[in-house]
Amino acid sequence: MATIIIDGQNYELPEGAKFNAIQAARHFGIEIPYYCWHPALSVVANCRMCEIEVGTQDATGEIKMLPRLTPGCQTPVRDGTVLVTDSSKVLEHRKNIMELLLINHPLDCPVCDQAGECGLQDYSYSHGRAEHRFVEERNVKPKKDVSDLIVLNTDRCIMCTRCVRFTREITGTAELQIMRRGDHGEIAIFPDQPLDNPLAGNVVDLCPVGALLDKDFLHNQRVWFLSKHDTVCTGCSTGCNISSEENAGKVWRHKPRHNPYVNDYWICDEGRYGYKAANAPDLLAGNFILDAGDHHGVATDRFFKRLNEDLTHRILDKQAVLAIFSPFLSVEEAYAAATWVKHLTNRSTLAMGPVPVVGQDQTFAPDKMTGRSGDTSFLMPRPFTISAEKVPNKAGVSLVLNQLQGSEPLNFDDALKQAESTPIVIVFGGSPNSDWITVDQAALLRKAERVILFDSTINALADTADYVAAIASFAEKAGSYVNRDHRLQHFEAALPTREGVWTLLDILAILSGNGRAPIQSRSILAEAAAKIPALSKAKDGAVPEFGVNLTGKDAPIPDAGFKDDWTLANLAQI
Amino acid sequence: MAAFEPVLSRNWNNPDILSVMTYESMGGYAASRKALTTMSPDNVVDLVKASELRGRGGAGFPTGLKWSFLPKDRKETFMCINGDESEPATFNNRYLVEKDPHQFIEGILIGCFATKANTAYVYLRFEYIKAIHILEKAIAEARAAGHLGKNIYGSGFDLEIWCHRGAGAYICGEETGLIESLEGKRGWPRIKPPFPAIEGAFRKPTVVNNIETLACVPHIVERGADWFKSMGTPKSYGPKLYTISGHVNKQVCVELPMGVTTNQLLEDHAGGVWKGRKAKAAVPGGISMGILKKEEFDIPLDFEEIRKTGCLGLGTAAVTIMDDQTRIIDYLYNTTRFFAHESCGQCTPCREGTGWLYKTVKRIRSGGGRIEDLDLMSHLANNMGITPGTTICGLADGAAWPIKNALAKYRDELEDFIKHNQNPAYKITAGQDAISKGQSPLPTNTSMFVPGIGLAKSLSN
Repeated sequence: MATIIIDGQNYELPEGAKFNAIQAARHFGIEIPYYCWHPALSVVANCRMCEIEVGTQDATGEIKMLPRLTPGCQTPVRDGTVLVTDSSKVLEHRKNIMELLLINHPLDCPVCDQAGECGLQDYSYSHGRAEHRFVEERNVKPKKDVSDLIVLNTDRCIMCTRCVRFTREITGTAELQIMRRGDHGEIAIFPDQPLDNPLAGNVVDLCPVGALLDKDFLHNQRVWFLSKHDTVCTGCSTGCNISSEENAGKVWRHKPRHNPYVNDYWICDEGRYGYKAANAPDLLAGNFILDAGDHHGVATDRFFKRLNEDLTHRILDKQAVLAIFSPFLSVEEAYAAATWVKHLTNRSTLAMGPVPVVGQDQTFAPDKMTGRSGDTSFLMPRPFTISAEKVPNKAGVSLVLNQLQGSEPLNFDDALKQAESTPIVIVFGGSPNSDWITVDQAALLRKAERVILFDSTINALADTADYVAAIASFAEKAGSYVNRDHRLQHFEAALPTREGVWTLLDILAILSGNGRAPIQSRSILAEAAAKIPALSKAKDGAVPEFGVNLTGKDAPIPDAGFKDDWTLANLAQI
Repeated sequence: MAAFEPVLSRNWNNPDILSVMTYESMGGYAASRKALTTMSPDNVVDLVKASELRGRGGAGFPTGLKWSFLPKDRKETFMCINGDESEPATFNNRYLVEKDPHQFIEGILIGCFATKANTAYVYLRFEYIKAIHILEKAIAEARAAGHLGKNIYGSGFDLEIWCHRGAGAYICGEETGLIESLEGKRGWPRIKPPFPAIEGAFRKPTVVNNIETLACVPHIVERGADWFKSMGTPKSYGPKLYTISGHVNKQVCVELPMGVTTNQLLEDHAGGVWKGRKAKAAVPGGISMGILKKEEFDIPLDFEEIRKTGCLGLGTAAVTIMDDQTRIIDYLYNTTRFFAHESCGQCTPCREGTGWLYKTVKRIRSGGGRIEDLDLMSHLANNMGITPGTTICGLADGAAWPIKNALAKYRDELEDFIKHNQNPAYKITAGQDAISKGQSPLPTNTSMFVPGIGLAKSLSN
């Protein structure tokens, strides 16, 4: 067992841990401030914020300290490593570095988007000095457009080079570079070569200060007004963990959340700007019944009463049901909906909704060797994939349907053909895109006598279905998705449901008469886990932080869980 | 002590020495032939170790020891020769390449043989256009004559030498900055470990040696370690090229045994201070080494003694003499401007500190100085560099040392200068002054409107 000493206290390193001093200290609840270091990027040790006193304890117990300060980011901890993070020398050094970082930094926090989540602000408060000795003229540097989506304020830059390393080491596109030297150095793009790779938005998250900012979010909200909801991106079957940040009934941005098994620290730009669908002004609201060629809005209680009567009547006539399940449904919704359909009649066919595939999977596989050289034994770059399959839960819906039907669900094309010979078609939608079904496809489904649609957008089928019920959008519901690697992940709702709109789980509870709304997704997942062997790992509906691998065992990741977030540590102090 | 016989510069007066035939006829390439055909690489390393040859680039690290750091089981090794020579007032490497290129090539050959490097990169500074032409021609001739290429002298040893010209950055003289630049990247020094001997150019074990260091090697092979150690002072042996420039009558590069004094250089070789003036101070080895007072001119210029004066080290042994009309503030202005311009901008203390020091010195020189600026400069200088551990490379130490030395040795003059050179146009405002001392920028007993608080009394209370 490896023992290290931090600030005079002994700690046991976890088995197999490959930590640097920053990670090790954080693991034991001690903060070493840093800027340029990032757990997924190579080590350059240029900000000098994480400098501490480092030494070793030999077998006799004697401690030998290095005479000079050493950056924690380039110090791998081993048995006998001694770290001192709170000596007056270290604290004084942090004050010096903060002063130096600020001498050419404009004090424009009131108009800076980063304020509230800024590494400079937080560390100034906790590690800086109040007075400033700099009386010379500051260097003034320009504002640059590095792409249509990202703006670079070089005057606020502290030259940590995280963004440069990201484009070189993770995306391999190397759009960013440094030009000029010394305190005139600036991050820049090459002329007419914008920063427009599919992961470009991550440089905004990586930037510890307000230098790289998202034009989409610029001056829209102060970050302290945003409440963050841990959710999962629905853009593709990778299932990136994201934080959906909401205020005043709107989602304002998506930020990546760390999950070493899925997306590491990144998300793609498609997922980042996918939040806009949550705020779409023309989402389906209310319940409608087709009567004499026109849709009439109906109060919720009357709608469900008439729907139930109609269905009961037809089922008693032994009419067959074709139920189509969108791969945008959560596992819980699919389970509750399929169970309801199975209870309605034993003459039912379960089918999978359309699964759009765009292009091919795009994988960014970082190579450790492309980074700067150095002792990076604690660095474990992980690949990031943008999936071609643009749905979040095909795997989850399909395993639920498979179990409840006892066979593979019908695919969408076959379901369209079968609609003609089926009297009742029930469609459980949920896609944020209203073009998930074409007019022609809707016409094919319309050949059934009764078409019932549960969906959140106004689409081609909603125009013609007999019963149209609005359900909560992807941002308004909680539950779990199973991604392409069979990882079950829980997501929270970011928004309350629209006025007069219920979640599908609540609607199904009313229709089946076997539960009282509001329904918790967790209780449905617990029920599904008890019934479906493939979901047995989600016993009692509990899903761990990084999700659960349904088909295998996760390889341990020693550095998992290091959140690259300044505010966390500081909030704990305050 | 026997009369000193120059070896490194022995052929400098012979313009024909540029030709490989002439060089061979003067006994050239005998040492390399001896090493490659009669010695093993380890023998050469041991010999250089025994000679206690220390690197001539500035840091004075023992060369043999550096060579022995290479991993034993390495498959490929690179030799980088540091000819960036961008330390101001230094020109001994240029002389070595321009005036006797084959001596240098012979040194590379032996050095590569000892370190089992089959590829050598000569990194020459951007401005050395003449040197690179001479060297490339000499390399071609040496290859034609069988001193380079495959199976040299039938020993089975192969060697190719490539010349690489820098792009004009001081920082590329730092060994890992040089390697980055050689790889085609921005010349930002790397963190250590790993040291280049383990992972250097193109991630392979690499030795980085100075031109003058390698030029010494053939003579050690030829004459033995004892000969080498018969010159110089304890721990600093062998011949050394000193360059003397500045306010002297004759600016020269001379070869002398290690450990001559500034006075000897000035009087015996540079013809004394120019214009009949007296010397005031000297820079001992490139401006990053600090400053020597006139009273310290009799200290031996070697790796050890010079440190006792508070200077950083011998550096490149480029001595710059300042006459008695030179103002120390001008010396500081030049040095701080240089380092602010040449800081690569990687580490925060150096990037911001060099710029800050330059701006402060500039303001003092213009007539806006305050006595407390000197303490501020001292604090900044003491907290930058690898000595306190706050930067990756030694550039910041070099930037700090002139400040530290000048403040230690000439504080009275600087204070006097500030007191008698005040120009209202460059004075900082009372508000700035107050803020920098942690006080309120407002005069006492004034009120100001503070949003959210209303009318508030002076913030200083």
